[in-house]
Amino acid sequence: MFVLALSSLRHRTAAFTAGFLALFLGAALVMTFGSLVDTALGPGVDPVSEEVLAIMGGVVGGWSLLLVVFAVASTTTLGVHQRAREIALLKSAGATPGQLTWMILAEVLVLALVAVVPAVPLGMLAGRTLLGLLQDSGQVGAGIHHAFGPVALGQGIGVTLCSAVGAALITARRAVRTRVTESLLNAAAPRARLTRRRVAFGLLFFAGAVNQAVLTVTVGRGTGFQAQQYAGSADILFAIGLACFAPAIVRRLPLPGFGVVGAVTRQNLRSRSAPLAAALTPIVLFIGVGVGTLYMQSLDNRASAGRPVGADQHIIETLNYVVTGMIALFLCIMLINTLVASTAERTREFAQYRLAGATSGQVLSMVALESLAITVAGTVLGTVASLVTILPFAYARTGTWTPDLDPGTYLAAVGFTAVLTFATALLTARRSLSVPTTAAVTV
Amino acid sequence: MTDTEALRLDGVRKVHGTGDNQVIALAEVSLSLAAGTFTAVMGPSGSGKSTLLQCAAGLERPTAGRVFVAGRELAGSETELTRFRREHVGFVFQQFNLLPALTVLQNVTLPVRLAGKRVDARRVAEVLDQVGLGDRLTHRPQELSGGQQQRVAIARALVTSPSVIFADEPTGALDIRSARAVLKLFQQSVRVYGQTLVLVTHDPIAAAHADSVLFLADGRIVGHLVAPTAEAVAERLTHLGEDLAGKGV
Repeated sequence: MFVLALSSLRHRTAAFTAGFLALFLGAALVMTFGSLVDTALGPGVDPVSEEVLAIMGGVVGGWSLLLVVFAVASTTTLGVHQRAREIALLKSAGATPGQLTWMILAEVLVLALVAVVPAVPLGMLAGRTLLGLLQDSGQVGAGIHHAFGPVALGQGIGVTLCSAVGAALITARRAVRTRVTESLLNAAAPRARLTRRRVAFGLLFFAGAVNQAVLTVTVGRGTGFQAQQYAGSADILFAIGLACFAPAIVRRLPLPGFGVVGAVTRQNLRSRSAPLAAALTPIVLFIGVGVGTLYMQSLDNRASAGRPVGADQHIIETLNYVVTGMIALFLCIMLINTLVASTAERTREFAQYRLAGATSGQVLSMVALESLAITVAGTVLGTVASLVTILPFAYARTGTWTPDLDPGTYLAAVGFTAVLTFATALLTARRSLSVPTTAAVTV
Repeated sequence: MTDTEALRLDGVRKVHGTGDNQVIALAEVSLSLAAGTFTAVMGPSGSGKSTLLQCAAGLERPTAGRVFVAGRELAGSETELTRFRREHVGFVFQQFNLLPALTVLQNVTLPVRLAGKRVDARRVAEVLDQVGLGDRLTHRPQELSGGQQQRVAIARALVTSPSVIFADEPTGALDIRSARAVLKLFQQSVRVYGQTLVLVTHDPIAAAHADSVLFLADGRIVGHLVAPTAEAVAERLTHLGEDLAGKGV
């Protein structure tokens, strides 16, 4: 089974590159913030610097950790889903559930270990750069040396391994338990189900988001920029909550018109909900967290305009930008990742459409319509999530629920997401279409 | 060329690979099939029968030579070829190649709708009745048996009333009874509805359902049998194997 796992890794390049990138970048991100905590714990760090480093590494690191867990889990789940057919065939060839679980787990473990090693130098470099930025802006003492120690390593390796293995186990459990005939049936059209676990997690995250929003307008009211400690996480929690419901949302997406290509796309939204939900997730998180955090900061800047800005407030501002940047980068890669992996899988399906008489242009239009549907849905949901941070913070900081916001940031974020989604999906689809039809359907 | 010629190949040659790795899949094949005929193409593995079908159907471009379907030469860009194919060529494959996301009815009407045409409900109902699936319209392919799936694929090929239908080992994945039903369906579509059909197979019993059989070896047509019986076909094939063995192939 272990040998089978390794050969499977070699044959499914696109999906495993996606898994590798998620694990690699996720581990590097966690290590970056972890190393700040290591630095804070080091000798000869003055109390002010220690606090800055601890906030940056602990609080912000904590949130990025949550995102990484989510991203790694979603990529791993997609990877296992895509192998449904192979799993079904192995099952029909007599593989026991135990053997299959071990095979899936072995793949994920190998991938995680291979990904974590190169993450160490990247995490070191990024951590050192981040410390340098904090030192340049005078928020951390200049004499402090960057440390990369047990927190960075432990968190980085521990978090990525645990979330990957956890997700693999959960998905594998479901995959290997279904009967052979049923799994061959599922394999043909991967559908995502809104499991009870997803609903429970989703509601939990919503509750957390509501809690943060309520704290913002009650405890946070009148505390100035400090209301950010409550408001800042509301959008992240709400966006993750929405992402938990992604399979159900994708299936219900309305898409009017567009003739036969539109009709086929509507079918795909319903029957290919698993990969589309996986692509929707990073869009919701990107718009929700990015837009929410940036507007929160801009509201804060405006409220404190003309007043002396405290050291803490300055730190928080830098921090917001750094974090938004890093998270945005991470989510972009997640999005590209998921789209490439799920589109590359469709070579055979595209060929079948072409044999049924679809031109390459019609297949590309179908991919474009799917991208349109998830971009619009992701934008709407992400906007809702961002409002969960923006509105309570506006009330707490400026006393109004209807802040006057500059639409530029929002439009830029939405435009960027749309371009990224369309370009990735269409370029990958075009590459899949270049495979000769007859070769693609006989694979 | 006559009006009733459905398919013509003129000196079609297909070479795979380049340089030292060249493999000649089709040496030089010329043939002409009249409309309303049912022709089986047989030969040992590697004889070039699938390549012949792919070139004739416009799925592969021949290295040299010309292919005419319904009097029109297959040429132009991939998009032009696709447009031509969906009007004039139907396909049935061993692996059904139905879209799992679509229902039976959606699969069958897909070529018509992709061509941007109005679906003729009467024609669709007629074809689905003909293949015996009138009551399975809302099922998805994976909910049907192999034989039923292949009949959906046949309905999809028939619905546009193409000039030629190419079937590549259509009974290869089916049990004997389903296979016989599929072959009867082919015969009926030719005899009753005047469809033109080219069947690639290695099964003498399947080939015996055709009006005539072309034998292919080493990328050349090496024999022709009219009104075949399974025994006659099997015997020819055996000799073909011996001839090849004698040549050290």
